[in-house]
Amino acid sequence: MEKRDFHVIAETGIHARPATLLVQTASKFNSDINLEYKGKSVNLKSIMGVMSLGVGQGADVSISADGADEADAIAAIAETMKKEGLSE
Amino acid sequence: MKSYDELAKEIVKGVGGEDNVNSLIHCVTRLRFRLKDESKAQKEQLEHLDGVVSVVQSGGQYQVVIGNEVADVYDAVLQNSHINQNDAKAADDRNNGEKQTILNRFIDLISGIFSPLLGYLAATGMLKGFLALFLQFGWLAEKSGTYQVLYAISDSFFYFLPVMLGYSAAKKFKVSEFLGLTMGAIMVYPSIVAMAPTNMGKIKPLFTLFAGTPFASPVHDTFLGIPMIMMSYTSSVIPIIVGVWFASLIEKRLQKIIPTVVKAFLVPLFTLVIAVPIMFLVIGPVTTWVAQGLGFGISSLVKLSPIVAGIVLGSLWQVMVMFGLHWGLIPVAINNIAQNGFDPILALTFAASWAQIGAVLAVVLRTKDKKTKGLGISAFISGIFGVTEPAIYGITLPRKKPFVVSLIGAGIGGALIGLFGTVAYNMGGLGVFATLTFFKPGQTIGMPFYGAIISALIAFAISFAATLFVAKDAKTEAKVAAKQDTALAAAEPELEGANVQMINGTKAPATVTKPEIEFNTPEVLLSPLSGRVMKLEDVKDPVFSSGAMGKGVAIEPTEGKLYAPVAGTVSLLFPTGHAIGINSDQGAEILLHIGMDTVSLDGKGFTPKVKQGDRVEAGQLLLEFDMATIKAAGLETTTPIIITNSNQYHDVKPVVVNQAVTAKTDILTLD
Repeated sequence: MEKRDFHVIAETGIHARPATLLVQTASKFNSDINLEYKGKSVNLKSIMGVMSLGVGQGADVSISADGADEADAIAAIAETMKKEGLSE
Repeated sequence: MKSYDELAKEIVKGVGGEDNVNSLIHCVTRLRFRLKDESKAQKEQLEHLDGVVSVVQSGGQYQVVIGNEVADVYDAVLQNSHINQNDAKAADDRNNGEKQTILNRFIDLISGIFSPLLGYLAATGMLKGFLALFLQFGWLAEKSGTYQVLYAISDSFFYFLPVMLGYSAAKKFKVSEFLGLTMGAIMVYPSIVAMAPTNMGKIKPLFTLFAGTPFASPVHDTFLGIPMIMMSYTSSVIPIIVGVWFASLIEKRLQKIIPTVVKAFLVPLFTLVIAVPIMFLVIGPVTTWVAQGLGFGISSLVKLSPIVAGIVLGSLWQVMVMFGLHWGLIPVAINNIAQNGFDPILALTFAASWAQIGAVLAVVLRTKDKKTKGLGISAFISGIFGVTEPAIYGITLPRKKPFVVSLIGAGIGGALIGLFGTVAYNMGGLGVFATLTFFKPGQTIGMPFYGAIISALIAFAISFAATLFVAKDAKTEAKVAAKQDTALAAAEPELEGANVQMINGTKAPATVTKPEIEFNTPEVLLSPLSGRVMKLEDVKDPVFSSGAMGKGVAIEPTEGKLYAPVAGTVSLLFPTGHAIGINSDQGAEILLHIGMDTVSLDGKGFTPKVKQGDRVEAGQLLLEFDMATIKAAGLETTTPIIITNSNQYHDVKPVVVNQAVTAKTDILTLD
C-alpha cells in the first residue's frame, strides 16, 4: 500500500471541480484508492464520497492506494493536486 | 432491441474521444466522422470492435464501417456522447488544419447534401421502377386512381427535389433550413415553372440569347428590365445548391448589419429579395449551363465508346465507392435524367455489385469459419439490394484477391453493358432493383434490359469462379479468419471507474472492481426547484457541461427553495451549503449544486434544513438559499442536477428541456 499526506491550500477546499478532477485521475487506476480526512475514509473514485467530506482550506488529508499500480496512482494524484493548486 | 450503447462508447473512444469530433453523419453503412486530429484515432482498436467492419480514411472523413445497423449505432453515439447533430453545422468552422483538396471538399459537400436524402431517393426511385414494371405487365392502368396516387408518391420527391436539396443544403451552409426550403419552393412554384421556355408552348419569346448554339436560351420575361433566362427547375440539383450557398453569404452579411430588434424578419426578407432574383438571373442559368456541359461531355464519352467507358467505370466503381468518389457522378446522372430523360453512366456500374457478391459467395462456400460464413451470407443478401459495403469491408477487401477479382469481373460486366447500350430511366435503383430503372414505362423491354442482366450474371459468374480458384489457398483463409477472431477477443469492453460507491461515516469497505456494470433500478426524479429547465450541456461551467461528473440536467431557479428529488439519505452536505448529495433508496447518487462557483460565498446566503446522514422523503425541503445574495456576488444561480453514478444506468434523460418546471414535478428519468 502506498500512502501520502496532503495539506490543502486551496481557498475553497475540495469542492465540485477539484473533486471531479481527483476522481477522474483516481479512476484511471485499478488500485483501490481512499481519501481520509478527520477519521473518515472515502473511495476517491466517488465524487459524492469525496465531496461528502467537505474538505476545506488548511485541512490535512491522506490518500492511500492499494493495488498493482498504487505507486503510479499516488504520483498522478499528487500531480493533479499540485496542478489544480489544491496542495503543494 | 439490441443495445449499441457499449459499442457507441467504444467507437467514440476509438476516434479520440468526443472532443476530437468535429461532426458526425452516417450513410447506409458507415459512420462518417470529421475529426480534428485523425492521428488521435486508434484505427486498430476500432477495427477490433465487434460490430465494426473496418475503418476508412478518405475525403477528409474518418469513416467507421458498421453495416446495416448503422442508424441504431449512430443514435447510440449521439445519446452516449455530447456529439450532436448541430456539430455537423459547426464542423467546417473548426478546420483541422489539414489541407483540404478541392476534390475532397467537393466530395464532402455533395455527400453531405445528398446523404440525408438517400433513403427517400432510393425508396421513391424503387417505387418508380415497380410502377414501370406494373404498367409493363398491365397490372395497373395509367389512368387509374391507384396509379396516379402511387405515381405521385414515387415522383414528388424528384419533382420537388430542389425543395429537398434546399433543406439539406441549408444545413450544410449553416443557414436556416427554412431559407433553403423557401428557395427550393420558389423554384418549383407553379407560376415560376410556367415561365420556363419548355412550358411556354407556342408563345413567342421576346428574344433568344445564344441563338444557334447548344446553349440557345429564349427569353420570355424580364426582372426590372433585365432579361430572365428561365428554365424548368423541377428536379434540378445544382441551381438550388449554389443558390443556397449564395444566400448563405448574403444572410451572414445581413446578420451583422441589421439591428437585433428587427433581425427576425428583416434578415429573411432581404436575404430572399436579394438572393432569389440573382439566383434566377445569374446562378440558375450559369450553373445549369455548366451542368448541361458536364452531362454532355460525359455522355459524349459514353457515346464515343460505351464499351471502353464500361470497362473503366465498371472496374473502378467499387474503388470510387470506397473512397466516396462516386458522389461526383451521381448529380451528373440525376442531371442526365432531368435533362435527357435517361442516364447511360450509372447503368455501366450495374455489374459491379454483382461481381462483388459473386466473390462473396465464393468466400462463403470456401470458408470453414462460422463467423465468416455468417457475415458473408448477410453481406451477400444486402449486396443483392446493392448495399455492398459489408461485402467489401467485411469479406473481399481483407482477403485482397477476391476484391481485385471482383473489380475485373465488374469491368468485364461494364464493357458488356456498354455493348448492349443499357441506360437508366430513373435514379434510385440499387442492386436487383436497378433493373427496374432500365426500361421506360409503356415501351417494349428490349435487349438493353436483358443485356444488363446477362452482363451482371457474367460478372457474377466470373468473380465467383475466379474467387473460388484464388481462394483455394486455405492457409490465407485460416489466417484471415484467425485474425478476425483475435480481434473479437481483444474487443472485450474495458471498465473504467465503473464502481462508484458511496462510503459514509467511518466504515470504509474496500472497493471491489466488478467485471461488469450492474445497472440500477430505473426511477424518476422530482424537480428540486421551480424554474427553467436547461440541458446540462448548456451550463457554462465545463466541469458540469462536459459530463465529467455524470449525466443530468440543470435548472435556472425562480425560487430559493431546494427540495429532495427522491426518498433517500443525505450523503453529502458541503460545509458551505452550496452542494447537497442524495443517495436514493434505489441506488441513484444525485448531486445538487446550487449556482456556479458559489463555493466562494463560503455559506453566505445558504440555510440548510437537513444534516449529512439524515433520511429525507421525496419533496422534503432540503435548504433555502437567497438568490439575491448569489446574484449580488456576480454569480449565476444555475443549478445542475447530476447523477454521479450515471454509468450504472443505460440512460439518464430529462423529462423536459428549455421550459418552465414546478418543484416536485417529474424532471429526470433514470433507466
